[in-house]
Amino acid sequence: MLPAECSRRLVAELRDALDSCAELQRQLEQSLRVSRRLLRAWEPAETPAPEPTPGPEINEEAPSSACPPSPQDLKELELLTQALEKAVRVRKGLSKAGEGVKAHSLKSGSTSPATRASAPPSTSHCAGSCAPGTKPPRGIRHPWVPAKDLPGRRLLLVGDGAHMGKGAGANKPEAGLRDQQIIPQAAPPVPEAFTLKDKGALLRLPEAFRKAASRNARLWAQLSSMQTGDSVDAAAATAKTQFLQKMQTAAGQPGSRLSSAEVGRLQKACSLLRLRMREELTADPKDWTQEYRSLLTLEGLQALVGQCLHRLQELRSAVVEQPQGPWPEGPPRAASPCGGGADPMWSPQLLLYSSTEELQTLAALRLRVAMLDQQVHLEKVLMAELLPLLSEQEPLGRPWLALCRAAHCLLCEGGQRFLTVLRDEPADRLSPP
Amino acid sequence: MGRRRRRQPDPADAARALPEAIAALSRTLPAAPSPEIFRRAKFDRPEAAPALWRLLFHVLSPLSADSASVSFTLVDGPPELASPIAEAQVRWVKSVLHSQGYPRLALVQLQDDGSQGGRELLLALAWLLARGPLPERLLTQSHVRLGDEMPVCECEALASPGPPAPRVEAEGSVDIRHLQWLMGKLQLRWRNLMAGQQEQCALLGKIHSYTRGCHSDRSLGHLSVTETELLRDPEGGRQLLQRLETENARLEAALEWRHRELVFWRWMDTVLDTCPLEASPPTFLPRIPEPGAGAAGLPVRELQALQEELQALQEELRKAVEARRAAWQAAVGGHGPEWRAARRALQVAVAQDLAALQWAWEQGKGQARPHGPRRLVRTEARVPGRLGLWATEATEALRAREACLEAMLHQLQGQCRQELARLVGVRPGLIWVPPPAR
Repeated sequence: MLPAECSRRLVAELRDALDSCAELQRQLEQSLRVSRRLLRAWEPAETPAPEPTPGPEINEEAPSSACPPSPQDLKELELLTQALEKAVRVRKGLSKAGEGVKAHSLKSGSTSPATRASAPPSTSHCAGSCAPGTKPPRGIRHPWVPAKDLPGRRLLLVGDGAHMGKGAGANKPEAGLRDQQIIPQAAPPVPEAFTLKDKGALLRLPEAFRKAASRNARLWAQLSSMQTGDSVDAAAATAKTQFLQKMQTAAGQPGSRLSSAEVGRLQKACSLLRLRMREELTADPKDWTQEYRSLLTLEGLQALVGQCLHRLQELRSAVVEQPQGPWPEGPPRAASPCGGGADPMWSPQLLLYSSTEELQTLAALRLRVAMLDQQVHLEKVLMAELLPLLSEQEPLGRPWLALCRAAHCLLCEGGQRFLTVLRDEPADRLSPP
Repeated sequence: MGRRRRRQPDPADAARALPEAIAALSRTLPAAPSPEIFRRAKFDRPEAAPALWRLLFHVLSPLSADSASVSFTLVDGPPELASPIAEAQVRWVKSVLHSQGYPRLALVQLQDDGSQGGRELLLALAWLLARGPLPERLLTQSHVRLGDEMPVCECEALASPGPPAPRVEAEGSVDIRHLQWLMGKLQLRWRNLMAGQQEQCALLGKIHSYTRGCHSDRSLGHLSVTETELLRDPEGGRQLLQRLETENARLEAALEWRHRELVFWRWMDTVLDTCPLEASPPTFLPRIPEPGAGAAGLPVRELQALQEELQALQEELRKAVEARRAAWQAAVGGHGPEWRAARRALQVAVAQDLAALQWAWEQGKGQARPHGPRRLVRTEARVPGRLGLWATEATEALRAREACLEAMLHQLQGQCRQELARLVGVRPGLIWVPPPAR
């Protein structure tokens, strides 16, 4: 067993790592859900039609612009529909010969030539169509498709007059039952459910959205160009500097404060230097000029590292000297390897890829780098905790051996493989440890 | 009768300029109180303080990595009427300001219940505004992303874990096998992440190629998931549009603020003048510096870690240089006078190289390209004239970093191996059989 303090620290570190992964996983799963849903067939109620520009007419069921029916009404409708379907079945059975090309079918599985990618039951269809909102203000129009030739014409789809224009011309906007409720019925030219694969190229973004997006881009561009000063800006900049100075002198405290920017610079220096060293050490010099150049570079890097260390020492001694004030304890700040945080101003930047493999390689590499980063951090933490522990424990007994073996696994093999310990005893028995 | 009106600059204009500037500021910042509150704050009126504490909290938290740990009460409705700010939040604001280097002590002396200090808070806000482009930064942070974004810089793919789940504190001693188990769990999670990520990329690729030609913006060419989703789900689309329009309003306010801010700074000078001068070095006993804190919020731990890294780097370089220098000395000889000239040329070239490297971190912007998430765009390969980063280039950069990290990990593991070998070497009579090499 590990001592309590050590355990707590290590468990906390590992749990932090697990939590970070879990958060990433959560975000990923959300994106996956959305993407998968987009690639499936879209619910008919949500199927978009192209804006009043060319494109094949998509006859679909339409949501009602009336108020949504109550659940009880839906149930009644369901019953009515079933009764109708039964009637049709009976009729069909009776007059099979004379039916001919009565292809218009009800939702129940009759032999309809129309392909139906998805045939949701009428009630849910109804519910789905009752999306809130009246005529959608975007290019999503849902034409009513009145029922055609329902036997007996007892029930007809009643459409909103405004919607009537669209849709198959042959449909009869019969007055029939002027019912405020939706009576979704057979959609004889049964609409194919919308899939991105087949009809994705027909989509168009709505007008309002396009306007807002372009205005957004324009405003950002204006804001960015303001950074490069004009006269108004220069005056404001001077005023700000003066204000800051005044604040500083009005305060009682000595002005010299370490900027964390300095530390950020040093951290960045460290990572750049390390990267460069890695490049030099792995390069393969082909001739003596390259060898010499490599040698000079390494020596130069060494000098730079020395400079950085010197500067760091200076900073640290300055930190120790200053008295701590009555400020509340602040949270530790995470160091950002990018050196200074994000750009203050957003600007549209693109990442261009030409094949899915390219994208997958990039994404996988990103994750791998993040994982390695985490592993290096954990390795350092484990080393700091476990190695002292092992060297402290004197009784080299069984538990210590087990600890050693486990530590070796964690520290040297990334927790993946174990070594074996064999006791090298001569034939005659030794006393157990 | 009346005097003849002379054409003078209307004093009413000048009087209007300040409220308009403050109004613009109030419209662009999140959760900002009305301009009236600002005016009252100058005179240190009590009703100004809670609103300004809240404003500072909302302004500082998006930009701070650990804001999630301080519980957030969402502000609905006019900020003045929202629930009073919590003590924890007040303390948090104080500590963040301190870590950024706020010079005035009067701030920390304000009571934690957030009832006083309107003027001091106004000064703090002005201080933040003077130091950098604060409204722009906030807007960038909350920018409505319309595309499928992927960050490609070296920034951590792992953000801070978010609000930590209420976790039962580790009871104390654990067996090392528990640690091994946690490690295994971690590896499994990574594997799942990688698999999921691959799938997501495949789906994105499909969506992008199916919607090719749909976008009104020719340079993008296809729709993103967000845009396609708004077509599928009109309600979600409405909300997106609303957020976009809110952002547009804030952007316009920010532009207006930039035009008008001069008069605000003049006013702030007067505010500062009404403050009593702070006493020279306050008479308090300096606290013993705790291991976690340092001046200007530089954790000593951070500096220590950096020092260790630099020292490790130095050590590795020293060994490499020694080895190569020795090899070079042995090999050199038999090089004629042209060697001297060549050597000088090489020295100059290397010096320039290293100077460029040093410049990269000395300057504020070390990156050749601004970093941050980028919008994914699927396009034909190598069409000239496309402005943007190519995935292949980004991959190259990441590979270098990957190699670097792998080397670091192996080096650390090697160190451990040596150390453990030393420890167990003490005990004879045991054979350590390492696992088979991969």
